[in-house]
Amino acid sequence: MSVALEQDSYRGFRGTLWRNEIDVRDFILSNFTPYTGDASFLAGPTERTQKLWERCRELLAEEQRRGGVYKIDIHTVSTITAFRPGYIDRDLEIIVGLQTDEPLKRAVNPFGGIRMAIKACQQYGEELDPEIVKIFTKYRATHNEGVFRVYTREMRRLRHFGIITGLPDAYGRGRIMGDYRRVPLYGVDRLIAAKEADLNSPPLLRIKSEEIIRLREEVRQQITALHELKKMAEAYGYDIGRPAANAREAIQWLYFAYLAAIKQQNGAAMSLGRVSTFLDIYIERDLGEGVLTEEQAQELLDDFVIKLRMTRQLRTREYYELFAGDPNWVTESIGGIALDGRPLVTKTSFRMLQTLYNMGPAPEPNLTVLWAQALPRGFKEFCAKVSVDTCSLQYENDDLMRPIFGDDYAIACCVSAMRLGKQMQFFGARSNLAKCLLLTLNGGREEFSGEQVAPRVYQAGPGVLRFEEIWPAFQKMVAWLAEKYVDTMNIIHYMHDRYFYEELEMALHDTVVDRLMAFGLAGLSVVADSLSAIKYAQVEPLFDERGIITDFKITGDYPKYGNNDDRVDSIAVAVVKLFDTELKKHPAYRGAKHTLSILTITSNVVYGKKTGSTPDGRRSGEPFAPGANPMHGRDTRGAIAALSSVAKIPYEHALDGISYTFSITPEALGRTGDVMISNLIALLDGYFVKGGHHLNVNVFNRELLIDAMEHPEKYPQLTIRVSGYAVNFVKLTREQQEEVIRRTIFARGLA
Amino acid sequence: MIGYIHSIETLGTVDNGGIRYVLFLQGCALHCRFCHNPDTWLQKGQPVTIQEIIDQLKEYKPFFDLSGGGLTVSGGEPLLQHLFVKELYIEAGKLGIHRALDTAGYCRRGNMLEVLPHTDLVLFSLKVVDPEKHRKLTDTGNEEILKNLALTAASPVELVIRYVLIPTVNDTNEDISNLIRLVKSFPRPVPIEVLPYHKMGSAKWEQLGLCDPLKNIPPASTEQVVALRDRLKRNGIPLH
Repeated sequence: MSVALEQDSYRGFRGTLWRNEIDVRDFILSNFTPYTGDASFLAGPTERTQKLWERCRELLAEEQRRGGVYKIDIHTVSTITAFRPGYIDRDLEIIVGLQTDEPLKRAVNPFGGIRMAIKACQQYGEELDPEIVKIFTKYRATHNEGVFRVYTREMRRLRHFGIITGLPDAYGRGRIMGDYRRVPLYGVDRLIAAKEADLNSPPLLRIKSEEIIRLREEVRQQITALHELKKMAEAYGYDIGRPAANAREAIQWLYFAYLAAIKQQNGAAMSLGRVSTFLDIYIERDLGEGVLTEEQAQELLDDFVIKLRMTRQLRTREYYELFAGDPNWVTESIGGIALDGRPLVTKTSFRMLQTLYNMGPAPEPNLTVLWAQALPRGFKEFCAKVSVDTCSLQYENDDLMRPIFGDDYAIACCVSAMRLGKQMQFFGARSNLAKCLLLTLNGGREEFSGEQVAPRVYQAGPGVLRFEEIWPAFQKMVAWLAEKYVDTMNIIHYMHDRYFYEELEMALHDTVVDRLMAFGLAGLSVVADSLSAIKYAQVEPLFDERGIITDFKITGDYPKYGNNDDRVDSIAVAVVKLFDTELKKHPAYRGAKHTLSILTITSNVVYGKKTGSTPDGRRSGEPFAPGANPMHGRDTRGAIAALSSVAKIPYEHALDGISYTFSITPEALGRTGDVMISNLIALLDGYFVKGGHHLNVNVFNRELLIDAMEHPEKYPQLTIRVSGYAVNFVKLTREQQEEVIRRTIFARGLA
Repeated sequence: MIGYIHSIETLGTVDNGGIRYVLFLQGCALHCRFCHNPDTWLQKGQPVTIQEIIDQLKEYKPFFDLSGGGLTVSGGEPLLQHLFVKELYIEAGKLGIHRALDTAGYCRRGNMLEVLPHTDLVLFSLKVVDPEKHRKLTDTGNEEILKNLALTAASPVELVIRYVLIPTVNDTNEDISNLIRLVKSFPRPVPIEVLPYHKMGSAKWEQLGLCDPLKNIPPASTEQVVALRDRLKRNGIPLH
């Protein structure tokens, strides 16, 4: 690349560090313009945007009519360059690029598991090309095959009975975020040169361990992926070897990088990162040069977001049911504060949120506000307004995460923080601790089948359960489970690296990367309330003829998690600490650091189905509360008490995030729009001051949801937050809809 | 000291006074025919200590400070437990927490006098001015209530009168004239908050096995509320 060209791309930019090495953070901090004003500058949608979005809405409606999948290409294996360029409407688009050659057409990605690919095609009335089946069964192993070659019998059983579930052992693990900003800032050529230099640097030339051999191979694969990325863009008529020279190019380059990642990987969560303030620097420059208007700037953002709303992966029906529709967790983190104290809020932070007005609410991208006490008031007000109007935002505590992850981290999926380009994670779904408690009481036997799946550390006899016996027994069982869980994860991620390595995403990381292994805990409120019931009420187990507990007789009342009552909240805290501590006793693959999330996504319904009656009075099969939520209807002291309970869960023991999905009626928030906004801001500020980590905010009435359940056609864009992400309410299964409606919606007539 | 409570709501927002911790005390002798919390009438309830409530208020202080909120004691009729309320207010005052009292004023004058000096805001719920009508609408006349209202109006405490507009019951021309005359008789301007009668309490009447005496009364419409507000405004009465 010529020096002149690079100078032109970097015209007007300040700072030197980022020019000499790959350092996007330094570029942002040297060049961004904080914005402390309000939302009044924002522009509505242009006629072009409206036309294009209308076209998309028709396609999306058709996709719904066809049962959720518009079309599948059964003959082509998805790779970065597998498809010819595709367009929604070539004349209308200003940002281009689709995963396949047609909008909403899904590609097949068998690298994670061929059986999943075959099944998904079948379930939507297609048959996967036999040639592809042959290649991925006869000539090449998939990630899924690798894992099952190595799984022990015990692991299979834990998986089968839903004690450890949702494991990424049959599809892409996801949750890895490439630093897609590197592509516009440096151009692909420079990134390739940097990787080549790494390959020839002393640490990678000393071939003293298997790890170095593997890393050398991986970096070579990364370089190949970067070449393919460049080729993919060329097919659309762009040379992204050079840096982007203006705002439109910056968005286009960045989107190409993200697009290549989602063509190569079908990970559950394929998150975007933290791009708004980065892009703002280019937009500000263009505005300053007089070559872009506010309307055009918004139009670029709108078009970019339209593309993100159209991303699709081919999944099985079970997957759609588990996660309620089509989530890809295209998470974009917005806001936060820089380590130097400046708010990282720019006009493009507002523009990103404005897309929810210009095209209406939508679950994707998964817009995530990094909330800090010191965020400018105008931004807080706009966020609160957007929440009240659209239910499409989630909030995470920047003041809590910044000391640990710095000021250039982003959220992957729902609540997982990572330093961009520096950290990656091994996603590990979650373990059902409510079921683990039942295993404890049943002497290691699974409560439905009666099969011995865990050691007998204890056996509850007839008569009242004694907390002094059960808590130590539960601790032993958790310790046993933690070891099995870590071992299982080690196998999964070894195989994923081996058979389904994220070449492009990792090409957009530093070569030497910090690894996290993210474990998960499901059923927190059920376990806390169950142990509280055992401790404070009289709980007697009832047995069937096999000696398995089928139910519990509870006499008296007990403190329930979600009412800011320390007697039970301290149990919830102890359970989290216990699991985290036990997990950390067992070394994780590739030196990864253990983290833990309290997050269920929408699978709290499925976990409930697979778990027998629990000592808290929850019936067999009844859903759990999602994430770290209190159980439905047991939080009777109002929202602030519930928030205070959840805020006690210690983030240092759940560094992969603590999810709380919160629903409130507009009336409960205040009588007028202004009061609602100021109360919501106080509620968020207060929750986060108290150490809360994450909050999904839904503002709606139960009646609205019931009407939407009966008349889905009236609510095509009704979006609600479920658990770290948002969904189209009408795409939920009936069962999930009913569960959402049963959840506590804070509402109380006090006047 | 022990108080008897019906329930606690930690996110009270309807007073437009920020985020409020609302303590619903148990017990009320007024038995309004339009009561939306008839389950608070009986004289039993869950016992709590001042310290328990104060400990919770301390925890919620960030929410109060950030929203301009505070503590609201409601009921039931909180002034039936005036000594508990007084001591609670003294302690809350030490923490710098704003204290609102949501009362119908049906208590002995002495009870009111004990609590008023430690109160920042009184939300005085007035049912109807005419004593005869009051007798029909509740279990009693309103002579004591009006004295307590006058007493509050003469004190330095911030005061808002709440008037639930019940169509055909307390919204006749005469009712409103009486209301205006009463409020004008006070030594200072006292704002009125007009609240529309709603039917959300009906279910509670049924649950308690009671017959809702206002079963056939419709909820107040927005137009009716606006019309009343306009009339008060025209007569120089501030609105809340």
